[in-house]
Amino acid sequence: MHRKTTPEVVSTSCAELEAGIQPRKLAMSGVEKTSNESPEVEDKNKEMDAEAEESFGDDYGVEPSQYLFYRYDRKEWADLEPVPQDEGPNPVVKIAYSKKFSDVYDYFRALLKKDERSERAFALTADAIDLNAANYTVWHYRRILLQALSKDLRKEMTYITNIIEEQPKNYQVWHHRRMVVEWLNDPTEELAFIAEILSQDAKNYHAWQHRQWVIQEYKLWDNELEFVESLLEDDVRNNSAWNQRHFVISHTTGYSDPAVVEREIQYCLQQIRKAPHNESAWNYLKGILQDHGLSSQPGLLEKVLELKETHCSPYLLAFLFDCYEDALENSKNTEEQERQETLSKALEICELLAQEKDTIRKEYWQFLGRSLQMTGSIPDSLTNRHY
Amino acid sequence: GVTDVDMSPKYHFLKDRHVRFFQRTLQVLPERYASLETTRLSIVFFALSGLDVLGSLDVIDKDLIIEWIYSQQVLPTDDKSNLGRCGFRGSSHIGIPYSTKGPGVLHPYDSGHVAMTYTGLCSLLILGDDLSRVNKQGCLAGLRALQLEDGSFYSVPEGSENDIRFIYCAACICFMLDDWSGMNIQKAIEYIRGSLVSGWTYCAIASLCLMGRLEEALSPRELDRIRRWCIMRQQSGFHGRPNKPVDTCYSFWVGATLELLGVFRYTNFEKNRNFILSTQDRLVGGFAKWPDSHPDPLHAYFGLCGLSLIGEPNLRKVHPALNITQGAFQHLQQLHQTWRSSCGQQH
Repeated sequence: MHRKTTPEVVSTSCAELEAGIQPRKLAMSGVEKTSNESPEVEDKNKEMDAEAEESFGDDYGVEPSQYLFYRYDRKEWADLEPVPQDEGPNPVVKIAYSKKFSDVYDYFRALLKKDERSERAFALTADAIDLNAANYTVWHYRRILLQALSKDLRKEMTYITNIIEEQPKNYQVWHHRRMVVEWLNDPTEELAFIAEILSQDAKNYHAWQHRQWVIQEYKLWDNELEFVESLLEDDVRNNSAWNQRHFVISHTTGYSDPAVVEREIQYCLQQIRKAPHNESAWNYLKGILQDHGLSSQPGLLEKVLELKETHCSPYLLAFLFDCYEDALENSKNTEEQERQETLSKALEICELLAQEKDTIRKEYWQFLGRSLQMTGSIPDSLTNRHY
Repeated sequence: GVTDVDMSPKYHFLKDRHVRFFQRTLQVLPERYASLETTRLSIVFFALSGLDVLGSLDVIDKDLIIEWIYSQQVLPTDDKSNLGRCGFRGSSHIGIPYSTKGPGVLHPYDSGHVAMTYTGLCSLLILGDDLSRVNKQGCLAGLRALQLEDGSFYSVPEGSENDIRFIYCAACICFMLDDWSGMNIQKAIEYIRGSLVSGWTYCAIASLCLMGRLEEALSPRELDRIRRWCIMRQQSGFHGRPNKPVDTCYSFWVGATLELLGVFRYTNFEKNRNFILSTQDRLVGGFAKWPDSHPDPLHAYFGLCGLSLIGEPNLRKVHPALNITQGAFQHLQQLHQTWRSSCGQQH
């Protein structure tokens, strides 16, 4: 039977509305079966469950028989009445929790109800987090306790470091780390820590967001360009790194200094020569020049035309088109013949893209060509007003 | 875009499987889905809206689900001291006793979550509810309490990360309740403009459309750049950022953005369709982010929406900004008409 690969934890962009299925937790006994399915489908469901179980070596992995229940085995909790989740008569999207899971969370709910501020509560939050690190109420309560009990925040940094290493694509854990860093007013571990997370996944959106926050908040700009360049050395197609490059430079030297712009253009062209089919490099180039007019940078058009012969790509051609379009728009005083030539070159690029170099976007390039032809520039308003 | 439909079995759209997938989702999920606990109402939304797109809402008991949704509403207490915490919860995980009516019960840690208020309201609309049991004053006060100085929103009053996703949720809530007092629009627009570099283009554009401020907030040139950025995301299906793999849900996020900007028709429908269907789970139904991966409710829903955008037969059309079917949207418009014509009645 065709085996599915275990999914990577649901990606960031999906993760807000779906906090990420954890394939690793053991499906304990007592999971309710869903309604009558064909044997084929049941097998498939079982296969998915089995794969989920075996894909994980973790541990909370204490044998069920060794688990100490809050409600049966821990005398120091006897004073507290557990609070079950009240789903009402017709729960929807009900999750079938094991006795162990319910045990922890029934006591969590009991603590919340009385807003208990105690060491035992603090200890329980770690158990609750281990079962579901996406429960933002647990994290919030833990932060209340950290402050109420004056807990050691350095230890908390160690704790959150470990959790993030295990679950680097969870929003709550990064938010928690940010809060602890703010309380300590100490960012000194951050850049190294984030670099370590990025070494496992160089495009982790959470890691980059946290990095941008800490750099901006604590003015840690000094070595960031160097860091970005080392990542681009590893992978010149890392869009996040190119994004960071823009972030660093725009917040430090800015792009008004012509020397900076020239240096950056050279850097881009160099990377493009190494890896021509790289949208990120071309987007960066366009991004730093477009507000001043692509056609206003002397010599650039010629360099791009040269590259077209040996290092062509759909992105290069799109850039060329944009240069021609900019020239048409911004040099209205130019001789009519020159304008016609520019228009003609632009249309040629559209045809080349549509027919050969970027056929997936054929309709779009043809549309751009038609628009340019009709008005000399793209029509402004295509938005669907009735939305 | 031209669709030359590939007729091989791999590209058959298995409608019934998807209906059953969403039915099962609405029943019981195994423990390994624990991380979805606090966001269960959004999973309800995916399943309900998915069934709506499939034209199959008849397979569920609407009234029972409506009751459950209302039981997640955080209502004002008698003394209204918790107004800034009102809205809808993702689930009963805090331990509040089940109740579908007020007054609210004071609990130190009970508050709404902006994405749950948004998906809760959508879900009620999809089920044909008239929102008469929604405490609008509470929802709007709860929303105002979440907006920061820079225009972005927290998800919960206790604090959380803040970004444009929650502006989108807020915009949807205001739009549905027909009341923009829930947010400072100007500040939200400023934040949106400042954050266009990121990948959350859908949230930005859809929010501006719901506000009716798209062309006011963005110049023609900026709109063209966004069109270009989005249209470049198509590789077969769509990805979210350059040099990242394609993922089924982006067929909606990017597709709907392009639709709002008037250029979705210039995408390649066939390649998009083939990719989405390559992530279809032919056994249990639903869609996954990638081929040969496990399906989940989010990708199942957005896979369907992606197909709906390209006009897949037998799928209902989706309103690209509010992300509910056109049928549910019309129901909302009728509610708005009723509310507006009730002179002097507070809503």
